[in-house]
Amino acid sequence: MLLAKARTLLAVHFAYMMEYRAEIFFWILGGLVPFFFMAAWSEAARQGYTLYSPLEYARYFFAVFVARQLAIVWANWTFSDWVRTGKLSFYLLQPLDPMWRLLADHVGERGVRLPVLVVIGGVFAALFPGALVWPGWGALALGLAASTLAFLLSFFVAYSVGLLAFWLEDATEIFELWYVLVLFFSGMLAPLSLYPEAVQRVLLWTPFPHLVYLPAALWSGLEPADARGFAVLFVWTLVFFAVSRLLWRLGRGRYSAMGA
Amino acid sequence: MAAPAVLAEQLSKTFRVAEKEPGFAGTLRHFVRRRYRRIEAVRGVSFEIAPGEVVGFLGPNGAGKTTTLKMLTGLIQPSSGRARVLGRDPYRREAGLLRELTLVMGNKQQLIWDLPVLDSLRVNAAVYEIPWAEAQHRTAELAEMLGVAEVLRQPVRKLSLGERMKAELLASLLHRPRVLFLDEPTLGLDVNAQLAVRRFLKAYRERYGATLLLTSHYMADIEALAERVIVIHEGRLLYDGPLGGLVERFAPFKEVRLMLARPAAAAAFARFGEVEEAGGLRVRLLVEKDRLTGVVAELLANFELRDLSVDEPPLEEVIGRVFAKGAV
Repeated sequence: MLLAKARTLLAVHFAYMMEYRAEIFFWILGGLVPFFFMAAWSEAARQGYTLYSPLEYARYFFAVFVARQLAIVWANWTFSDWVRTGKLSFYLLQPLDPMWRLLADHVGERGVRLPVLVVIGGVFAALFPGALVWPGWGALALGLAASTLAFLLSFFVAYSVGLLAFWLEDATEIFELWYVLVLFFSGMLAPLSLYPEAVQRVLLWTPFPHLVYLPAALWSGLEPADARGFAVLFVWTLVFFAVSRLLWRLGRGRYSAMGA
Repeated sequence: MAAPAVLAEQLSKTFRVAEKEPGFAGTLRHFVRRRYRRIEAVRGVSFEIAPGEVVGFLGPNGAGKTTTLKMLTGLIQPSSGRARVLGRDPYRREAGLLRELTLVMGNKQQLIWDLPVLDSLRVNAAVYEIPWAEAQHRTAELAEMLGVAEVLRQPVRKLSLGERMKAELLASLLHRPRVLFLDEPTLGLDVNAQLAVRRFLKAYRERYGATLLLTSHYMADIEALAERVIVIHEGRLLYDGPLGGLVERFAPFKEVRLMLARPAAAAAFARFGEVEEAGGLRVRLLVEKDRLTGVVAELLANFELRDLSVDEPPLEEVIGRVFAKGAV
């Protein structure tokens, strides 16, 4: 029964997201930020200032781009909207935790996003011949596992922020703070090996570097993939899952079903 | 006596609402020191509804009807008092109970806007753990009763308001709930669609022995479906009893309609009762029941009439008076 529920939810949410395929395409284009950093670092490499060659930077930042795309979430926005508009009421009436619906919404969207990523990968390979190399099945699978954990952690953080809508009128923008931390400490701006060692040591216990850097390091094969990253991601995912459950339990009593 | 399907016991709900003055200064004050007001939306409302009963839930806007329904369906937590549906606390959201109840909100939609109705029904079937073959059978049955079989493959956004409301009903009833809470189910629908929804609800209730608690601003809905009404005003229960009793209790008058042979001034009828309509050939009076015989005899003696009819006043008028009085 659980599988049937999951299958139906995913199929319908995939169909729903297909209706917004054009929007998703432009959303992906809006996520090309890593390529700007790639251009800057490649130029520095050409002038001989950095560790890697321009092609290696291209490989790294493409992996960063894919890792980022697979971890994109909007649960903060959607849940906040459900609370504000009273749409949550319908989901409360049904024998299914609304969180699962939200999760299905994200996973269904990945089904639309993935083919576009493949096309972008093709274009990238044509523009930068030799930049993309096959990482091997093991690294690919490990990178996907890291990326899945990164997605789940991002999801529970965003969902927890969305749940704050039970207390605040609009909590969605709090998630921007998370995004800033991800931008600086995830390896999106630069490979982490270029950061001061003391900073690296501290960062590796936070979830930020593992969100993007861990899968990117595994896929690009350039940076040392820290196995402890899996444990760190897993523990932080559990922490934010627990936070979201607690916020749900405390917040529900404050729900006024406005507009419903 | 069977256990009640719905029980409200001293049910109360108080909301704390932030208040803000308009303008720049008001915004600054609101930012520095927020002021709140407590709104007692529902105050100690108690009633029981037996299994299979259909009850009309009446009250003006802001009376607390919807808040009561939200507490009875477990959407919000009562500030005090007890809500029970089929003996269970709806706020706990036990799956077993959620499979037995539904809430239809005429001003809200659960259907997925950009997808065909059938996709929403597929989700509901999965969520309520109804095998798809069974769900298809139920869909066909309900769609036939509602007359919407043709539109199930169309995106929801392409449906007319009436079609959408019927599809909403279908989605809300796919799991065959035993207890239905209906909040303005015919809101905004044209007369034909209202009639169709009423007929459907009546048929559903007869077929499945369901319990219905229904709010509506259209008295025709209440008259067609409910034998008992509960009236609340400013969060307090005003009346709970048979529909006929409401008229008896709050309308100690009859409506007298006249069709005159020649126009007469409104002032000529003032001594007979409350003049609701006059000035032309048509006259409508509300006459106290005790005086009715004498008034009719006098009207016949003093005016040349083409027609005269005596009836109960329209329910809308009775309800309007109840709300205007605000007390029993």
